[in-house]
Amino acid sequence: MRAVAVAFAVLILAGCVTVPPDAFVVTQQQLAKRQIETRRFDGIKEEELLTAVSNLLQDTGFTLENSEVKLGLLLASKQRDATHGGEIVAAILIAVLTGAVTPISKDQTIRASVVVRPAQSESVGEIVKDSFFVRVTFQRIVRRTDNSTYVETLDDVELYKDFFDKLSKAVFLEAQKI
Amino acid sequence: MNCRILLLPLCLIVVAIVSGCATTNQRVLDSDGQTQLQKRSYQTRIFDTDNKEIVMRGVISTLQDLSFVVEKADLTLGAVTGTKFIQGQVIRMSVTVRPKGTTQMVVRANAQFGVQPIEDPKSYQDFFTSLEKSLFLTAQLGE
Repeated sequence: MRAVAVAFAVLILAGCVTVPPDAFVVTQQQLAKRQIETRRFDGIKEEELLTAVSNLLQDTGFTLENSEVKLGLLLASKQRDATHGGEIVAAILIAVLTGAVTPISKDQTIRASVVVRPAQSESVGEIVKDSFFVRVTFQRIVRRTDNSTYVETLDDVELYKDFFDKLSKAVFLEAQKI
Repeated sequence: MNCRILLLPLCLIVVAIVSGCATTNQRVLDSDGQTQLQKRSYQTRIFDTDNKEIVMRGVISTLQDLSFVVEKADLTLGAVTGTKFIQGQVIRMSVTVRPKGTTQMVVRANAQFGVQPIEDPKSYQDFFTSLEKSLFLTAQLGE
């Protein structure tokens, strides 16, 4: 009986999920994220920069999904294994202790969205020639063993630093036409 | 006799279940009690510029500032689509930019949160406030 009551309560609550009030407000946290996800590149044409980005995405195993060169957009994705040692150990422990089967991560789709935009001067918003901001965001959609999924935006500073280090090299290679 | 006693509550339950569900047709073309004009009024703003590309790049960078991942963009059509993951839910938003006359651009946004349409004008107001800052322009209500 209690289980039925809980199930009803869950059903009713699930119907009432509302949009978080600050979902469309830029917060300080998001401004900090912008710093992490963005780098400026000077002395390069927009197409060359986009080519360098697409080469780097291919270097790192992504396949291109979508692009709009006129607006500086590239979207790429890859599917990878998502099994995680710690999670498996935890699932086994729970199974031994309680007898319950916990679903664990099985595979994941990693997406990278890259946007190149012309740099603007701070004061008047005038476009600076041959100078661009590159902003990248990584997301992943993880599928568990029971086929349920969960989604997250990756925000590890190291990941973004590594990406831009590699992009600097790719930009250099692009400039040398290698 | 026993059967009759059971029949009434059973009928009530069936009616409650059936009436609670919208049909597929209602879901396909739903607007949740709001008229098309009401929706347009809070989902639309007008900007005094003739540069579609600048407005679209502004829309893209605003979406990114709001933690959206931009999935699609098309300058010719003037459309941008992005998704944002928040509290394990997905917000999906599309924004269109089209010229109005020769000196203005109309920006329209619509979004859904999980399986619900976002129909709270404040969410759109917040989005356009962020867009204004990104474009260094003031938005006007219109349509």
